[in-house]
Amino acid sequence: MIEWIESVLGLTIQVGTVYLLASLGEIYAERSGVLNLGLEGIMVMGAALSFIFTLAYGHLAAILISVIAGILMSLILAVMAVYMRLNQTVTGLALTMLGLGLSGFLASPEVRKVILLALNPSLPESLLAIQEAPKLPEIHVPLLSGLPIIGCFFRQNVLVYVSYIAAPLMWFILFKTRPGLSLRSVGENPAAADAMGIDVFRVRCLATMISGGFAGLAGAYLFLGFQPFWQEGLTAGKGFIALSLVILSTWNPLRAILGAYLFGGVEVIQYRLQLFGLGALSPYLLAMLPYLAAIAALVAVSIESVRKRIGVPASLGIPYSREE
Amino acid sequence: MRAGKISRREFLGVARSAAIAGIVAAGVVGGIAGYVGGSSAAPPKTITATTTVTGVARTITETRTVTQTVSGAVEPLKVGYVYVGPVGDYGWSYGHDRGRRWADEHFGLPVKSFYRESVPEPEVGSAIETLIDEGAKLIFTTSFGFMDATAEYAAKYPDRYFVHISGYRSGAAGNAPENMSAAFAEFYQLYYLNGLAAGAVTETGVVGYVGAYPIPEVVRHINAFVLGANYAYKKRTGKNIKAHVNWIFSWVAPDAARKAAIALIEEKNCDVIAFTEDTPSVLQVAEEYWKKGKKVWSFSHYSDMREYGPNAHLTGQIANWGPIYLDFYRMVATNSWISVDIWARIGDYTPYRWRRPVEKSTAGQAEGVVYLAPLNPAIPSEWQILIKQRYEEMKELLFEPFSVEGNLGEPIMDQNGEVRIKAGERADHDMLWNMDWLVEYIEEPLPKA
Repeated sequence: MIEWIESVLGLTIQVGTVYLLASLGEIYAERSGVLNLGLEGIMVMGAALSFIFTLAYGHLAAILISVIAGILMSLILAVMAVYMRLNQTVTGLALTMLGLGLSGFLASPEVRKVILLALNPSLPESLLAIQEAPKLPEIHVPLLSGLPIIGCFFRQNVLVYVSYIAAPLMWFILFKTRPGLSLRSVGENPAAADAMGIDVFRVRCLATMISGGFAGLAGAYLFLGFQPFWQEGLTAGKGFIALSLVILSTWNPLRAILGAYLFGGVEVIQYRLQLFGLGALSPYLLAMLPYLAAIAALVAVSIESVRKRIGVPASLGIPYSREE
Repeated sequence: MRAGKISRREFLGVARSAAIAGIVAAGVVGGIAGYVGGSSAAPPKTITATTTVTGVARTITETRTVTQTVSGAVEPLKVGYVYVGPVGDYGWSYGHDRGRRWADEHFGLPVKSFYRESVPEPEVGSAIETLIDEGAKLIFTTSFGFMDATAEYAAKYPDRYFVHISGYRSGAAGNAPENMSAAFAEFYQLYYLNGLAAGAVTETGVVGYVGAYPIPEVVRHINAFVLGANYAYKKRTGKNIKAHVNWIFSWVAPDAARKAAIALIEEKNCDVIAFTEDTPSVLQVAEEYWKKGKKVWSFSHYSDMREYGPNAHLTGQIANWGPIYLDFYRMVATNSWISVDIWARIGDYTPYRWRRPVEKSTAGQAEGVVYLAPLNPAIPSEWQILIKQRYEEMKELLFEPFSVEGNLGEPIMDQNGEVRIKAGERADHDMLWNMDWLVEYIEEPLPKA
C-alpha cells in the first residue's frame, strides 16, 4: 500500500509541477490586474527552446533561455495590454497563437538543424535529427528521500525543488511585504494606487513579466523534467488548465500547490482506474475530470457573493488609464 | 491536362482506350526518344496522351521538342498530399512525408510533390482544392477521417486521381468513383512477432499495451501482440500470459502515454509494453526504468526508434509508405490507372517474395512497406529463430497469427470464453477489419468507443 501511494504521489508531483509553476506566475499577473492568456503560447515556446538549447548547450543554459524568452514574450503583452491598453483577452490569445506557431517552426526538423548548427557547430549528426533531449536527473535529498510516503517529494528533479521554494516565497512576498501590497493594490484599485504614488504601469509590466518567466520555466519543466520528446503543440492545453487553476487557488500561491497536485493527481489516477476495469465504464468521463474541476471553479467564482469573499482582483482584465 | 467538359464515365472510357494507346505510344515514342535523345524522359508523353484520343498524333509532333531540349521541356508529374498532423510529429504524418520523399526519389522521372499539413478533418475539401489549383494530378489523403470528402472530390474531379489511406472506400470496393483507390500498411503480423519477442523475454509474465482508441485497427494489433506473447511465454513456462491495456484516447499524446505506461509498470508489474501512439514516449519510459535498474522493454512504432531506448528496444513495426505511393505515381504517369484496395503486409512490394531460410532471413531489415525493426540480441536465440521463421512464412502467407497455429494449436477465445477462431480457420479481411473483441488473456474489458 505504501508503495502504491508513493508510486501515485511521486508521479502526481511530477505532473502537478507543470501547473504549479505556470500558475504561480499567473497569480502575480492577475493580482496586478493583467490577465495573461498567453500562458499556453509562452509555455510551448519554453518547451521548444529548452529542447533546442539543451542539445546545444546543456540544461542550465536551456532553462535560463526559456525563462528569458518567457519574459520577453510577456513583455509584448505588457506593452500592448498595459501601456497601449488593448484588450487583454485578444492580445493574450494572440500571444498563445504566436507561441504555438513559432515554437512549431523553430523546432521543426529542418529549421532546428540550422539553429543547432549555428549554436554549436560541433554537434554530432545524431543529435541534429533526434526529437528528445536528456531529461533532468532526479536528485535524491539525503535522509528525507528515504522516508516512507513523503520521501517521494524528495526524489525529484531540480525544477520541482524550485517550485517547492518558489510557492511559499511568492506567497510571502505577495501578502507580507510592501512590494506585494503595491502589486495587490494595483490590481484592486489602480487609481487609488496611482494616487498613492505607485507606478501602476511599471508594477503591472513587472508582474506580467514574472508570469512570463514562470510560464517559460513551466514549459522547460514539461519538456526536460517530465516528457522529453518534442511534439508540436506539446502543451496540449496545459496553459489553460493552469489559468483555471489560478482561479481555483483564489489567487493564492500556497493554495496553488494543492490545486496543482489535485489536477495532477486526477490525471495520474485516471490511468490507474482504467486498470481496475473502471475505464471501460466511461473512459471519457475520467478524461474529463480535470476539466470538470476547472469548470466548477470558474462557475463558483462567477457568483457575485463568492467573488467578494474570495477576493477576485477587482480590476482584473481592465486596462488602467489616467485620463478616466 | 484537364479532360475539359467530358463527363466522368466518358472520361473513364477515354482514359481506358487512351491508356492502351498511351502504352503503345509510350513504347513508340520512348523508343524514338531513347534512340535520339538518350536519357530524355518518354513517359510524360504518355500523359499528353490522356488529354484527348487524338492526342496520340500530337504526341508524335511533340517528340521533336523533347529530343531537342531533353528534360527541360518535360512537365513533371504533380502530386499533392494532405496530412492530418504536422510533418514534425515523428509518427503518422512524418511517416507519410518520408514516404512522399522516398517515392519522389525513386520515381526516376520529373515529379513535383507538395503537401498540406495539420489539416483538420472538416477542411480536407479546401485542402484538396488548393492542391488541384497547384496542378496536382494525383492526390493522397492520409487520414481515416478524410475518406468521405475524398470520395466526394473524386466524383467532382474525374480527371484527377485520388488515393485514400486507411479507409475502405474505393472504386475497387464499389463504394467510390473509379478514380479513387484505398491503401493501408497493416501491422498485425508484425505485432504478433513483437508478441513472440515479448513472451520470450518477460520475467513477470505480464505484458501491457498503451492503446490509442478502442477501434478495430488497434484491437487487432493488441490481440495479435498478446497471442504472440502467450505463444512464447506458454511454450517457455507452461503458463498463460497476463495482459493489460491502458487507453489514452489520442493518437499523439506523449504525456498521456507516459502516465499510462507508468501505470502498467507500477500497477500491474508489466515488463514489456507495446503501444499505438505516434511518439517514442513509451519506449523512453521503458528506458528510464533501465536506468533505475529495472528491465522494462518496448518497441519501435512506424519508424526505427532504437535511439530513444538503446537498452529497452526489443524490436517493432516499421512502415515505409514510399513503395505504395510510387506504384500510384507510375500508374498515373503511364496512364494505367486501375482502382485498387490494398493492404500492404509482410512481403508486399518486395522484389523477392519467397521465404528465405532462417539464416538468410531479412527480418529486422528494411524491405517492402511493412517490416520488422532490428531484433535486440537480448532475445534468446531460439526465439529469434522462430521470429525469423514466422516472418519468412508470412511473406508467403503460410502462417497466419489469427489461427490455431498462432495459439499453440488451441482455438482462439475472447474474454467471454466464446470461441472466435476454430481449428482450420484463419481470420479473413472482414474479421480483421471489424474486430471488436479482445483475446482471453487480456484482463480489462474493451471500452465502448
